[in-house]
Amino acid sequence: MADPRTFVVVGAGLCGATAVATLRAEGFDGRIVLIGAEELPPYERPPLSKEYLRGEDPLEQILVRAPEWYADEQIEARFGTHVTQLDAKAREVVLAGGERVPFDTFLAATGGHNRRIEAPGSELPGVLDLRYVGDADRLREAVAGGARAVCVGMGFIGAEVAASLRTMGCDVTVIEIFETAMYRVLGGDIGRALEGIHRDHGVIMHFNDLVARFEGDGRLERVVTRGGRIVEADVAVVGVGTEPAVHIMAGTGLDQPGGIPVGPTMETTIPGVFAAGDVARHDHPVFGPMRVEHFDNALKMGETVAKNMLGAGQVFDDPHWFWSDQYDVQIQMAGFATTWDRMVVRGSLEDRSFCAFLLDAAGVLRSSVSIAWPRDVRRSFELIRKQVRPDPVALADPAVDLRTLVPGEG
Amino acid sequence: MAEFVTVGRADEIEEGEAKAFPVNGAEIAVSRVSGTLYGFSDICTHRQCNLSLGGEIDGTSITCECHGSMFDMTTGEVLEGPATEPIATFPVREENGELLIEA
Repeated sequence: MADPRTFVVVGAGLCGATAVATLRAEGFDGRIVLIGAEELPPYERPPLSKEYLRGEDPLEQILVRAPEWYADEQIEARFGTHVTQLDAKAREVVLAGGERVPFDTFLAATGGHNRRIEAPGSELPGVLDLRYVGDADRLREAVAGGARAVCVGMGFIGAEVAASLRTMGCDVTVIEIFETAMYRVLGGDIGRALEGIHRDHGVIMHFNDLVARFEGDGRLERVVTRGGRIVEADVAVVGVGTEPAVHIMAGTGLDQPGGIPVGPTMETTIPGVFAAGDVARHDHPVFGPMRVEHFDNALKMGETVAKNMLGAGQVFDDPHWFWSDQYDVQIQMAGFATTWDRMVVRGSLEDRSFCAFLLDAAGVLRSSVSIAWPRDVRRSFELIRKQVRPDPVALADPAVDLRTLVPGEG
Repeated sequence: MAEFVTVGRADEIEEGEAKAFPVNGAEIAVSRVSGTLYGFSDICTHRQCNLSLGGEIDGTSITCECHGSMFDMTTGEVLEGPATEPIATFPVREENGELLIEA
């Protein structure tokens, strides 16, 4: 006898796809409807700025599951379908065109939209951004044979695209509002180590500056900055952050600009209505309310939220982890810290091979960041999750296995 | 037919470490956990990173350094994503100090 309930998941990215897979893996044999706005089945977005953009990996290789998997698992996949609204009272999802899909349990995994840049000329051909497969295809075509490219913003997208475009033979100039590379994520000291890597690869970077306007006769020819710089360009890639795609929650009070607010188990204030992934503002038991846009978070939240939709009631306390591949180095980071009182470095910032540990005023490890030194980030997960105050001398000593610093496991 | 191939000395594999060997066109990693040797495909099924390069071994699990996929080296099954497909496993044995892999 199949479970009589219907679970509806809106948003067919990594988080939504992982959630429906976990529902089946956990034994749920009722109706599952997975609705996504894109025509393609769920795919991984990180390669869009890297292997897929550079033409190294084909589309099939970045799909979360093979296209036939959804039918095989009896998932009702409605790709290319827009949802206009969640009718929480009727417990129905309203599709563009008016069709209504009733649900017992609902998950919003709608992700985000790219933030637009408010500068004259941003509608010119040649001014691009990057979120979807089609965007990566357009960018690859635009730079074929070499191009003069400007990356607007040097967060994740800007830094990764700059690295890929250099590898593809483009001249690359970056215009970034903050003082160094990935400043908001990595801070000044670590950001400058990354900046040095980009400089060594020939990227020209203008910091503390922003775009005043895009100029060109019928298509982009140059980017003019507030600081008065004029950069000749064939293509510009705008990567200035995202906003959570909360529109389907209009009328529920959950369509907050900072993301759909959810409790520690990812349930909203409406029973049976959950949100996860980039769109969720999650009340994290260690870090407090936060919205996270990383791949691993979408994956881990997708797994846990599915279990919670089935009633597990698990608090999501993942320490958060991400990576970024630029040239031949990998950056990794775990935890979350917007400010810190002390940074302890294992390895060498100058040599751009290190793991840095960020401690708060009480000496609690809040975050660890590595460049070309990934192992110790993974080994710090439990220290961060358990809010340990590790001995700074031990942190700085590469001979000390971080796992031995977890109380009760030394 | 698969046969046991000598790939090196067994003492090359230290406790808690993994090392990869090319065998009949495949890259096979061998690790030693609590003295026992395990053989498994060195190639992560997610994005083809080499598990033996920085893969974190904890008990009989190995976690890919690139993107965090975790596999059970005794069965090959996925313990944590993003990988969705298992890795192959291979019988290994130690004979007169030599390391043999069946592949």
